[in-house]
Amino acid sequence: MKKKGLGFYLKIYCKILAQDLKSKMSYRADFIISTIGMIFTNIAGFASFWILFRNFSSINGWGYYEILFLYGFSLVSLTPVQCFFDNNWSLRTYVYSGDFIKYCFRPINLFFYFQSEVFDIKGLGQLAFGIGTLIYSWVKLGLGFTPLMLLKMIVFLITASLVMIALQNAAAATCFWIHNSFYVLDLVTRFKDYAKYPVTIFSPVFRFIFTFVMPIAFIAYYPSLVILRPDEVPLLSWLSPLFGCLFFWLSYKFWMRGAVKYSGTGS
Amino acid sequence: MSSIISIKNVTKEFKVLNRREGLKGSIKDLFSRDYRIVRAVDNISMDIEQGEIIGYLGPNGAGKSTTIKMMTGVLEPTSGEILVDNNVPYRNRTKNAQNIGVVFGQRSQLWWALPLIESFNILKDIYQIGDAEYNNMLEMYRSLADIEPLLHKPVRQMSLGQRTLSDILAAFLHDPKIVFLDEPTIGLDVSMKAKIRGLIHALNKEKNTTVILTTHDMGDVDALCRRIVIIDSGKMLYDNDIEHLKGFFGSYRTLKIRVDGDLSKQSEAVRRELSGLPVSCNDEWISILVDEEKATVMDVLNQLRNAFTIRDMQLEEISTEEVIKKIYEEGVK
Amino acid sequence: MKIKKYLTLTRAGIIESLHFRLGTLVMTAGNLLYLIVVYFLWKSIFASSETDVVNGMTFNDTIIYLVLATALFGFMEMYTVWEMGRNIQSGKIVLDLLKPMEYRRYLFWSYSGSFVTNFFFTVLPTFIVVGIVTRGAIPLGTNLLFFAVSVILGVMINYSIDFIVGTICLYTESIWGINIMKQVIVLLLSGATVPIAFFPEPLKTVVYYLPFQSIYNAPLTLLLDGDPQPETVLGIIGTQLIWCIVMTAVGKLFWKISLRQITVNGG
Repeated sequence: MKKKGLGFYLKIYCKILAQDLKSKMSYRADFIISTIGMIFTNIAGFASFWILFRNFSSINGWGYYEILFLYGFSLVSLTPVQCFFDNNWSLRTYVYSGDFIKYCFRPINLFFYFQSEVFDIKGLGQLAFGIGTLIYSWVKLGLGFTPLMLLKMIVFLITASLVMIALQNAAAATCFWIHNSFYVLDLVTRFKDYAKYPVTIFSPVFRFIFTFVMPIAFIAYYPSLVILRPDEVPLLSWLSPLFGCLFFWLSYKFWMRGAVKYSGTGS
Repeated sequence: MSSIISIKNVTKEFKVLNRREGLKGSIKDLFSRDYRIVRAVDNISMDIEQGEIIGYLGPNGAGKSTTIKMMTGVLEPTSGEILVDNNVPYRNRTKNAQNIGVVFGQRSQLWWALPLIESFNILKDIYQIGDAEYNNMLEMYRSLADIEPLLHKPVRQMSLGQRTLSDILAAFLHDPKIVFLDEPTIGLDVSMKAKIRGLIHALNKEKNTTVILTTHDMGDVDALCRRIVIIDSGKMLYDNDIEHLKGFFGSYRTLKIRVDGDLSKQSEAVRRELSGLPVSCNDEWISILVDEEKATVMDVLNQLRNAFTIRDMQLEEISTEEVIKKIYEEGVK
Repeated sequence: MKIKKYLTLTRAGIIESLHFRLGTLVMTAGNLLYLIVVYFLWKSIFASSETDVVNGMTFNDTIIYLVLATALFGFMEMYTVWEMGRNIQSGKIVLDLLKPMEYRRYLFWSYSGSFVTNFFFTVLPTFIVVGIVTRGAIPLGTNLLFFAVSVILGVMINYSIDFIVGTICLYTESIWGINIMKQVIVLLLSGATVPIAFFPEPLKTVVYYLPFQSIYNAPLTLLLDGDPQPETVLGIIGTQLIWCIVMTAVGKLFWKISLRQITVNGG
């Protein structure tokens, strides 16, 4: 048996993805409605933003365009979790019905096999919306442009994505222990909407919680600082790639632990 | 020859939550919980040779799927030892998975939205099947079943029978040493059942694959298995040839007769006459259960002919189904 | 008695939702955390503003409004669209249609048990906490009675909207898309995310003519008004009543027509 490295998994993922996209095209109506739904979500998010700033000119020393930048940043960094890890939403149903067992018999990584099953194409609409918002606020803020900035941007966007993926994995995996895990997943999803606000608005206790316990501050705030306020970047921002990987790894372990525990039950 | 699967004194226990009943109970459950230990599999041992088809039987909740989960490496036994192809399945789940195929009658493991051939293609990569082996396998499938119409159909559009067939083909695709089939014919019509049985039989012959079959359908057992294992409440009740099983109860045959006069009155008379043999009657027949080790059916018949005018008679062999039913109910004596 | 068969469903619902112990805890804890985020967010928003009163709302008004709106949201959310969508797709709907009561009612009463648990686990604690923290900012008087009536009407309007949207699932498989659109529109236009008082002028007027503000905004306005004028009360409850009747009628009619279409086409 050959070693199953990154190439092996990448090849399988691409194959499944290509096939999946092909078959998705045969459900055009669903695709269109979901995309519209996604656009609605983004427009509504933007609208509540706009309404707020009609009444207040800044939040905690952050101006309209700066907050808009955070918003765009969070949208882009939320795209991977939407596109690649959407099967987490079904995990609960599989565990409930006992169908989850079918993932346990393949000679490949269980987590990979489960997540590879679904690619959610509607996340791409959000990506476009997020990139648009980012560019718009970038220009309005007059941040300038260097290749180094772009590189930083990409690295920190990936970091932020990892954090969100970690949060969702952990939330979804709770279904291995509790029945109403939908609430947990729903909660985390609601919280990610708050990722777009600067964490400095919170009291120290909650700043700590949102940094280390439920690390939504890493989804937009800490990584954005590197671009937005290059003169006052805290250590945490530079450490955020490390934290991103750490959180992801922890969530993966948690998820797998749950899967092992699940198969240990009688059903 | 060493066995492909060897199970030694395996026991598996689960912790189960006791839920209280009613509204009051639910509120109590909020604050305290108590658990009890359930022994799902209790000291089971067996050895399975390469190429065998084993019927793994037992009533619902007997511990069948727990045993299978342990053999597939999904569950770790509480105690005892399992070796599958000289592997400890739980410790090397992925390595073990390469050696086995699994089919659940009601749960397709194929990609729901994809045409079958694409699922095969992905499986080819997952199991790292070489091109030549893969093509040979497809060639063989073509010779065994009419798969062309299935290959380009998305699984979600298939009928249950087609889906089961596809799942079985997918399970054998990487030429595993062992295939686990869990109620493969459940919910299928008679002709589809026959087709599935034929396919399993042919694949077993062709590739000398070991097949472990759990089912509630004795038709499957009669058609496919030479050896059966029966468990109930986690305990092994029986492990031997199907012929031997029939022998267990096979000395019994049911003699049915029809005589002149009122049947229920006459059955009383028959009972007196035969003193000791179990006699029952319904609207048409008087049935006598004859243990041929004590007296043959002919002896009984001769005896009866002297006392009664027999109008008609029937002789019934005990079926596998009845044997199994008897074992579930009474155990092996 | 006729009501008894409905109450049986309520009781079963209570037992079922209590069984999910951790789920309940998570839900409560999650809502608390969420409210904390909302608190800090608006605190810093008001801190950044030059005046204490914005659009006639003080920080206290805003926060009480939003906290109670969130509690009401948790109370009213019935996941009707999901439930209907899933039942339609799995075909379970056929079994439900065979039950000796109207599907609309069956679904409502099946869920009603959760109203009871939600009330004790989220709404009541929230009210008590808000009452204590703000030292009696919630006036206690006849307004409580009006509030109760208004909430019941709100629940019915919300359910009717959900039922209408759920009926759409008879036509499309895109439950996610349909549900997210509904959720986004209701949340924004009902004033559950940003109080309607902050909406800019033309939008505010439009929103008052839509049914959504009758869900959360109407009961909250009645509750927080210590000394409501009879005309105000009558106006608000009257509007709710009209919407309730209109939406229920539309829902019933739409369901009837759709069902006929489905049975004719053989679903």
